[in-house]
Amino acid sequence: MSRWLPVLFALLAGLARAVGIVVVTWFLCRVMPGDVVDVLGLEGGLSEAQQADLRVSLGYDRPIVVQFFDWAQHALAGDFGRSVRFDRPVADMLASAAPVTIELALGSFVVGVALALGLAIAATSMKSRLLEAAVDGLNIWSIAVPTFCAGVLGIIVFSLWLGWLPVIGSLILPIIIIGLDNAGQIVKLVREDLAEAVMLPHVRTARAKGLSPWRIAVVHVLPVAAPIVLVLSGLVLSGLVAGTLTMEILFGLPGIGSLMLNAVHGRDLPVVLAAVTVVAVALVAINTLVDALHRLIDPRVNR
Amino acid sequence: MSTSTDLPDMPVRAAVSRHAPPGEDAAGSDPFACPILEVRDLTIRAGTRELVRDVTFSIGAGRTLALIGQSGSGKSMTAAAIMGLLPPGVSLSAGAGIQLDGRRLPIHDDRAMRAFRGSALAMVFQDPMSCLNPFMTVGAQIDEALWRRGMADAARRRERTLDLMQAVELPSPEVLRRRLPHELSGGQQQRIMLAMGLAAEPRLLIADEPTSALDASVQAEILTLLERLQSKFRMAILFITHDLAAARRLGHEIMVMRHGRVVDFGAPATIFSTPRHEHTRALISVRRMLEQPPPPRARAGETVVDVQGINFDYPPRRFLDRPFPALSEVSFSLTAGRSLGVIGESGSGKSTLAAIIAGLKRPVAGDVRLFGTSMAGHDFAMPRALRRRVQIVFQNPHGALNPRHTIATAMREPLDLLRIGTRRDRLDRVVETLNRVGLDADFLARYPHALSGGQRQRVAIGRALLSEPDLLVCDEVVSALDATVGAEILHLLRRLQMERGFALVFVGHDLEVVRWIADEIAVMADGRLVEQGPADRILSAPGSAAARSLVQACLKPVRC
Repeated sequence: MSRWLPVLFALLAGLARAVGIVVVTWFLCRVMPGDVVDVLGLEGGLSEAQQADLRVSLGYDRPIVVQFFDWAQHALAGDFGRSVRFDRPVADMLASAAPVTIELALGSFVVGVALALGLAIAATSMKSRLLEAAVDGLNIWSIAVPTFCAGVLGIIVFSLWLGWLPVIGSLILPIIIIGLDNAGQIVKLVREDLAEAVMLPHVRTARAKGLSPWRIAVVHVLPVAAPIVLVLSGLVLSGLVAGTLTMEILFGLPGIGSLMLNAVHGRDLPVVLAAVTVVAVALVAINTLVDALHRLIDPRVNR
Repeated sequence: MSTSTDLPDMPVRAAVSRHAPPGEDAAGSDPFACPILEVRDLTIRAGTRELVRDVTFSIGAGRTLALIGQSGSGKSMTAAAIMGLLPPGVSLSAGAGIQLDGRRLPIHDDRAMRAFRGSALAMVFQDPMSCLNPFMTVGAQIDEALWRRGMADAARRRERTLDLMQAVELPSPEVLRRRLPHELSGGQQQRIMLAMGLAAEPRLLIADEPTSALDASVQAEILTLLERLQSKFRMAILFITHDLAAARRLGHEIMVMRHGRVVDFGAPATIFSTPRHEHTRALISVRRMLEQPPPPRARAGETVVDVQGINFDYPPRRFLDRPFPALSEVSFSLTAGRSLGVIGESGSGKSTLAAIIAGLKRPVAGDVRLFGTSMAGHDFAMPRALRRRVQIVFQNPHGALNPRHTIATAMREPLDLLRIGTRRDRLDRVVETLNRVGLDADFLARYPHALSGGQRQRVAIGRALLSEPDLLVCDEVVSALDATVGAEILHLLRRLQMERGFALVFVGHDLEVVRWIADEIAVMADGRLVEQGPADRILSAPGSAAARSLVQACLKPVRC
């Protein structure tokens, strides 16, 4: 029981953080010059009177704190209202955008962690210079090449020169690009942790048993490195929000990132807030999950 | 997975005996023309440095070769070379040859050596706690060794795991099988390591200091077990140790190594009666010295320390848990010029007691009277004047010296702190003390890393003596040192005690060592002082169960 108390605290702290993010975003949106009515007015030529009517019908004439609590009350009940700009329920818009982002995020997460782990294990068990160079190369790639550069390069090479992939709407290239970036961020740390784990006495015992290098790496070395892999995976997942946004815009993917960015430009407040809330809650959930897994992984509870 | 394809280089004999039940091993019927292990001209280099040079020996079936040497003698390197487990950067000479059952081992090819590890060759290491995988149940680790040996059927593996755990005399294998290593005692862990080694049904079992990390009573059990297992399974054993008594007890032959060379070889009786090399003689003389302790000194002089019913608790690991009692109701006293040996197994509270006497820990109840002054009266903050008179020396001389301080700085520090003498005067004192502990002024400018373990311990003792203490507390000061070096330190302590007349509290786990230095022995068990009396009496007629088990565990004295 007391083992899980810290998880509960982490969950509460995460929730507080999510609420904080949403509140700050909400007020920032209102501080920004111009609202959705201004934007619509510029685009559609609404008259002054029509604009004033619209503001009243949106409730923008009320005191700002009242507006906030009104929104919060509905949001807590799961009702994020309607998009002013498209006059559609925000929930529908999120539901159609989420699968794209989830696919992109999970795909690139799996590619990234699998690549980093595979490469680190191979470099540890095979002692090959080429693999060491690959580890360093991948690490330097992720530091030196921003994803939007890699994205443009990828479009030039695979779409324009080779013609293998469409320029717009393909998920393969963005998943690989973010995956490479994720792998590069963690591969070196995982490799170093594994290199340390290999020096442990129980790994020598495993060698004395005559086990193959792969079995030693997976059964006797990897569990030692598991906690750090898990923590790094959590970091990668958190970083995916920014990563997927860039790719969605560059590759014209209708995901949460594109939705959010367009909504900010159009001052479509309900959409921005709903998207931010969903992402913040998702991040809290991920972090809590990582924390809980961390506790499960190490059988030496009291250490 | 069939074993014949998995292990193409397996000697035929081992392959035949694999499925034979233990006891009906091929050893009985097979005429052994050649020994099981034959090592020829083994030279091991790290860069240009030779760690092992021209080592040649052989071991027959059912025989044990005891390989003795101090740290750095190359004994563990020799074992690693046979297993093909040399650390990176260390290489074998081209001329070296190792034969197993008359066939050459591919010692220069790591990949080919893998076929022999865990089948014909098995190894048990020193520290079983860290040598077992902390994430796997011990049963699974034995199971893995069987799986590697080619036993594909999980049910058979489970049965065999239980058999092996029974063979190494573990109680209720069905329960222990599911435990993780940290849930077992040190002795049980080492038995698991042995079971894992036996799972390979090896021709040769290498045991590299298998008992050094264990308590004395457990050491004796493991040695007895090794003997029994050998008579049952008939494998050859290479037993590596630094303990002459253990070597004599287990070895059919003894080989002594020093600085990477074999300096002596022969049957134990021969080695002891006619040692050929000066180093062997030194090792034997340490044993003889320990067997004949100097006569105890008369009880005289003022009472230096009087410990009255102290208790000490370690804080609980978790909130609301009970605190762990490390000491309960410990009382004793010691007069000037005499020494008290404190002995007990690990966790019995002896080091905690040493720390409390030296004023490093504060008991929760009771009093320590130093030179008549009640420490409880000072709230256990030792007044500066007393601090000078009580000094402590620790087990690990590496950690006890600041690596960034020269010996001169390290030794002058207590004098500076206690404001003894003038600056000029202090340096003279440091030099004089260095001489007294058998070092000279050349050491002043050196840093700790340039000193050997024995030299560092001399510096640590010298530093403690600089303030001319009336009570010296020694916490396992020779445990980390080689036998001959440890003997020198013991002699040094004894001589200094004669000259200076300080009282000595000597904490140790080796009964022979403690008996040698101590006039009186206090036996600790589970935080209690269970018995106290003259050293000879404790040895000859131990009154408590704890003392009896320590005396029994102390290997039979080697008479030469």
